[in-house]
Amino acid sequence: MLTGSAVQTDYGPVQVRITVNGGKITQAEALQQPSGGRSTQISGTAIPQLNQNAVAAGSADIDAVSGATYTSGGYKESLQSALDQAGG
Amino acid sequence: MADPGTDPAGIPLSQLRHAEEAMGTVFSFDIRGGEPTAVKAALEEAVAGLHTVDEVFSTYREDSQISRLDRGEVTIEECDPEVAEVLELCAEAERLSEGWFSATYEGRFDPTGLVKGWATERAALRLVEAGAVGVSVNGGGDVQLCGVPGPDRPWRVGVADPLRPGGLAAVVTAAGADRLAVATSGTAERGAHIVDPRTGKSAVTDLVSVTAVGPHLTWADCWATAAFAMGSREGLAWLESLPDTEALLITAGDEVRCTGGLASRLG
Repeated sequence: MLTGSAVQTDYGPVQVRITVNGGKITQAEALQQPSGGRSTQISGTAIPQLNQNAVAAGSADIDAVSGATYTSGGYKESLQSALDQAGG
Repeated sequence: MADPGTDPAGIPLSQLRHAEEAMGTVFSFDIRGGEPTAVKAALEEAVAGLHTVDEVFSTYREDSQISRLDRGEVTIEECDPEVAEVLELCAEAERLSEGWFSATYEGRFDPTGLVKGWATERAALRLVEAGAVGVSVNGGGDVQLCGVPGPDRPWRVGVADPLRPGGLAAVVTAAGADRLAVATSGTAERGAHIVDPRTGKSAVTDLVSVTAVGPHLTWADCWATAAFAMGSREGLAWLESLPDTEALLITAGDEVRCTGGLASRLG
């Protein structure tokens, strides 16, 4: 189980934990998410989607992720970083 | 001794992983098989090579060879041989993309859009030369794959969905290809200055990302950048005309367009 660092967003802190089994992401859940007003409405749909997609990525059995270039800071929040840590 | 990549007993290959911060991003190495001491030494060389490339080609560093060349303080002949090589590759990329890929930005020579992919491909090839059976090097989102990761499966690369952070738009497989590169240009792209060669101004595009797939990351990366600037209609038609290149384009309206041969690479 890997817990990401909390990230400050415009809507409040977000922190995600992923569970890795046999080198695959089997579960992703939000430990911290913004609450109150519009941000609840936004995160209410965004967070389950992130969960579903991260799980889909895990079951896709991938070795690397291609996407628009991330910064060194952005890497820490990336799926590639999760794959590197999982070592699978 | 049997080739460990095709070992009928299905014995997994040894694995060496490394993440290295360079050029303002992170390079992720995943190396399978090979003689451990030789592979480890090659990884150290490949990592040192990335930092050297950063020093030589950085437009942010006043003392880099590229900055000094731009100010006329040194000649190409006085620079490392890689400088002439990159200049030639940039000229070729500009020619083949009819100016949509450009290594000139605000009047200065700026090879940033080519150097990272070129350096990533070079790092991967260094590890293959050292005897690795499978190599994946991800240079900040642009991936060069060589060989196979194990006896019973090909390398597989997820393409990030630009409209659903954390999700994937597709999975590309390297099955049957000894070399495969997957490069993505998008709105969050760093380091690529995307300019319309007809106007000299920032390109207006209806795309949020272009992923180009081909044998060499140097070119796949340039073609993704060029097609992104062209927009979906011209970009897709141009990508279709390129040999050994397939692509996936995603528009701001969440439409996905592919070249005709991409389907054989999805899985």
